[in-house]
Amino acid sequence: METFVQSVVSGVLTGSLYAMIGVGLTVVFGVMRIINLAHGDLVMLGMFGAFWAHALLRIDPFVSIVLWVPLMFLAGMLIYRFLLKPIIPGGELNTLLYTAGLSLLIANIALFAWTGDYRTIKLRYGLTPLRPFGIAVPIPLAIAFLLAIIITACLYLFLARTDPGRAIRATSQNPEAAALMGIDVDRISMLTFGLGSALAGAAGVLLAPSLYLYPTVGELLVAKCFVIVVLGGLGSVSGAIAGGILLGLVESLGAVYISVAYKDTIGFVIFLLVLLFRPSGLFGVGRT
Amino acid sequence: MALLSVTDLTRNFGGLRAVSRFSFEVAPGEILGLIGPNGAGKTTVFNLITGFLPPSGGHITLEGRSVVGLRPHVVTRRGIARTFQVVKPFPKLSVRENVTLAAFSHEASRPRAESLAAQMLERVGLRDRLAVPAADLTLGEQKRLEIARALATRPRLLLLDEPMGGLNPREVDGACALVGQIRADGTTVILVEHVMKAIMRISDRVVVIHHGEKIADGAPGRVVQDPRVIAAYLGTPVA
Amino acid sequence: MNRTAAVLALLLLVLAPPLVASNQFLLHLGITVLLWTLLGAAWNMLGGFAGQVSFGHATFFGVGAYTTLILYLKAGLAPWYGMVLGGLAAVLVSLPIGLICFRLRGPYFSLSTLAVAEIVRLVALNWEALTNGPVGLLITTLPRVALSGRTINWESKLPFYYIIAVLALGAMLATYWLTRARLGAYLLAIREDEDAAESIGIATVRAKVLTLALSAFFAGLGGGFYGLYYRYVDPDAVFPIALSVEMVFIAVVGGLATVTGPVIGAIFLTSIGETFRERFLVGHLIFYGLFMMLVIRYLPEGIWGGARRAWAGRR
Repeated sequence: METFVQSVVSGVLTGSLYAMIGVGLTVVFGVMRIINLAHGDLVMLGMFGAFWAHALLRIDPFVSIVLWVPLMFLAGMLIYRFLLKPIIPGGELNTLLYTAGLSLLIANIALFAWTGDYRTIKLRYGLTPLRPFGIAVPIPLAIAFLLAIIITACLYLFLARTDPGRAIRATSQNPEAAALMGIDVDRISMLTFGLGSALAGAAGVLLAPSLYLYPTVGELLVAKCFVIVVLGGLGSVSGAIAGGILLGLVESLGAVYISVAYKDTIGFVIFLLVLLFRPSGLFGVGRT
Repeated sequence: MALLSVTDLTRNFGGLRAVSRFSFEVAPGEILGLIGPNGAGKTTVFNLITGFLPPSGGHITLEGRSVVGLRPHVVTRRGIARTFQVVKPFPKLSVRENVTLAAFSHEASRPRAESLAAQMLERVGLRDRLAVPAADLTLGEQKRLEIARALATRPRLLLLDEPMGGLNPREVDGACALVGQIRADGTTVILVEHVMKAIMRISDRVVVIHHGEKIADGAPGRVVQDPRVIAAYLGTPVA
Repeated sequence: MNRTAAVLALLLLVLAPPLVASNQFLLHLGITVLLWTLLGAAWNMLGGFAGQVSFGHATFFGVGAYTTLILYLKAGLAPWYGMVLGGLAAVLVSLPIGLICFRLRGPYFSLSTLAVAEIVRLVALNWEALTNGPVGLLITTLPRVALSGRTINWESKLPFYYIIAVLALGAMLATYWLTRARLGAYLLAIREDEDAAESIGIATVRAKVLTLALSAFFAGLGGGFYGLYYRYVDPDAVFPIALSVEMVFIAVVGGLATVTGPVIGAIFLTSIGETFRERFLVGHLIFYGLFMMLVIRYLPEGIWGGARRAWAGRR
């Protein structure tokens, strides 16, 4: 029983971070119909940002997030404005291939600059986990979880209560109608991509103390990301959150009860099943 | 015997009955108009007949043989061709290639297929646009291209989905003449249309669909005066 | 491309190697280019003609490679036969994959091929009884074979060059056939608008499945050759996503739906790879990504497609 609870707790904690990555991707898809294969590499950049801030300047990752989020937001907007915007008219598949190229570019520049050595961030408070009710909870992961909740809550409020947020939701539902209502779809797209990138970077920073860091981790992350957003329904923020937590749980429980080796496979199998039988996501809210 | 016989056709989407026990027949050589307010189910009926959607119930037979459950390309090969409400050309391919592809369903060799395609394009008046990429045509031309493409499959029955949408009055007249000519050449036509002038002018008979159900079936003049039809379009008067 | 030019290029391809037979490095380069041409051409059939962008073609490559090595190591079947069986095994595998993935369209199809590729890679990594897991499979010696009285010297790269040249030519011929056959025309229609294609009597599912089988066959052949040439396979060498992406790259950069495109793409990829591999070890992938982006932005028809259009424009 204890293993089960431990498994569930770990799954939910990791899942919350997966969720954040997924939300970034799904929001971009919802507004622009772009599947951004470079999203995982943006997470990687967040991770390494946190690493270097800690290694060179001794800044705690959870503090450096304040720096990286705006930077990633800006970077995202620039990527949209100068790289993506000109090729979007070329069609979905062209954009997909383009972001695949971008992913290769980012990951390999990082690889070239920082080498493929695995790195970790060693925090003093990361050594002994908390033990509420006998369940081991690593402190960095717990902090990450809390921050992830706060960030996601802020995002929710932003989307629900502010004008730009509502504009984003409107464009996501119907870009043409939104344009007719006076929404500058181009500006909203830029904003959304910046937002998605900021979320990716933030997730990277939060995840950094808990994972091995290496420049090509984006490849694995982006694959998981797609499982999440398809599970939750492409374009749906709450779906991505649910999907992320679900994937975290499935991987955690799968590792314990099925096999560690195949735990990654489970996610992909579920992914295929959902794509086939419920393409609008487990909750039926996604855009197909 | 009726060319096409649709009996109790039904299609549900979850709880929504898009088409409900819809029945009608089309005699060979007829031009049948299918009208109804927006959202009534007209395009859904076309999608059901041509195999793009499976019915939830009912029968569809072409010359006595059922076509339910067949994939769209099989339905086409049986002799039912269609156009789409929003034109779907092959944008990067030339006008001639668009139609040649359809002609392959009847002519195995490329030269013969291209020749059949040229014939069809002549009939719709696109003979001098053969080499143009389909994406570069005007809307009216694209609609005519789609008709030529459908005709190249040598259909017994042609389903036209709002061919006059977006056309100016002169183009509408041209389209009406074309439909008449298609019938004269031996193809039966079902025409979904909102442009009433066209329906009245060329249909032999009109079927009216509303909320997925048939509410009238008869000569055009009679149908448009049917109080139920008027109520469907305009609503009932508020006392 | 006109007939005389094509035949001349062909002859050059076949005759050149004996002249440089002493330079094993150049032969290796030639083999690499031809192998990538084979793979790019294979991907092109499905991706360029039918417009179905697969990010999982490494699956077929890997199945071909493993089949060849497993049949040799466990059943003693000579690798050149094993290669062909590898291609056929890839075809067999392509059937259920097509069944699953072709239900999806556009980017969803692409993502599903990615998922399948990853699943296959993980299975290969973990099913040790069949594949030896991460350790991989190794051939130490190739069987003795004589051709017209002379034993083939497997230590030289020359015989391998001829084998891959034949395979690559086969793929290019198959592509050429596609450009002339009805199936090829149907695929272009499917690429433009699948529903419209159905509505004019094209059996789209059958066309896609057939094309995937053809594409998988050649990719599998390539995998088999890889096993024969390098004599070692492991899951991360033959099943990684990067390999699939490189196949896409070759076809896209070279020119989709053309016969010559994959050759150009392969030459490009190999030259970048070799130039940077020597100096920077990993830098070459940066340029793959960069060029993919540049081509899609400025030359969406690929280098060959763009060149053709420029030439036609000037006439």
